[in-house]
Amino acid sequence: MLSQNNDNVFVIIPVFNEKKEVLVQTIRELQKASYSIIVVNDASANDISLPGIGITYSLRHEVNLGQGAALQTGIEFALQKKATYLVTFDADGQHSSADIPALLLPIQNNEADITLASRFLKPGHHNASFSRQLLLKTARWINYLFTGLYLSDAHNGLRAMNRAAAEKVALKENRMAHATEFLFAIKKNNLRFKEIPATVTYTIYSKSKGQSVFNSIRIFFDLVLHKLFE
Amino acid sequence: MNGIKILLITGVVFIAVYFFVRLRNSLFDLILLLLLVCAAVAFILFPEITNQLARNLGVGRGADLVFYTSIIIFWYVILKLYARLRKLEQIITTIVRKNALEQAEISKTIRDDS
Repeated sequence: MLSQNNDNVFVIIPVFNEKKEVLVQTIRELQKASYSIIVVNDASANDISLPGIGITYSLRHEVNLGQGAALQTGIEFALQKKATYLVTFDADGQHSSADIPALLLPIQNNEADITLASRFLKPGHHNASFSRQLLLKTARWINYLFTGLYLSDAHNGLRAMNRAAAEKVALKENRMAHATEFLFAIKKNNLRFKEIPATVTYTIYSKSKGQSVFNSIRIFFDLVLHKLFE
Repeated sequence: MNGIKILLITGVVFIAVYFFVRLRNSLFDLILLLLLVCAAVAFILFPEITNQLARNLGVGRGADLVFYTSIIIFWYVILKLYARLRKLEQIITTIVRKNALEQAEISKTIRDDS
């Protein structure tokens, strides 16, 4: 079911020091489906002005705050612009815009408030290395410990939600622990959620932008502190 | 009174005055500070108290007991500082976000539906 009018679907792309070609490629793919696109530039050092690309909205943080903060800014802006559906999408080219309709479908059919993409639901839908799979499996257990939700994929940047869910999600973790905050919001507000299989394509570039083991430890501590100071 | 005692008490008094000037607004902090200072001075003047306390608690020496309790107090202070840092971060985030939302650029080349 390909919707003709995707104006009310807002795709939020947090951007930090992204390679211009990759970013342009990501945006072009999304434009083909005529989504409304919000690019939130989290104070990138390099120039990512996108003249002539015709992206719909472009926002900029004056100082670097982290991906969680950029997403929240994008979400609030989309809500201001009367978005009906919101999609979060990574800038590094690891997601495929072709997966978005599948994520939106359960929400449009009012079967779910929020859908989370999972690279592990279908075999062969990812080319994650062994170490990355191990990391994601550990993250999955940590998410379970913190939220009681056991998901097949813990840190996938591709999600879709309806307006009501987006209003409930108030990301306070500025850095990467926000992925778990989505689960907190689901749990706390009893949102209906669904995991949808989606492809994740790792390139050398997206790997270089991805999470290291060291970073994962930091995420864990952010979560502990989040719980402590809630 | 020997040299080290004078030195330590002077240090404690100086720190106490400094904190007193900064923490005037909170009564709880003031009382806590006063208690800590009194305890510190008492322990400096009569080290036997700490030894007695330590023995009662099953720790060898009074100095060890003081060391262990300071570690716990330092952990508490670090957590408090962390909490304050997070609060600051949230304030900054709010400001930066507000600016970003106000200065959003809307492309005219595609549709402008605002």
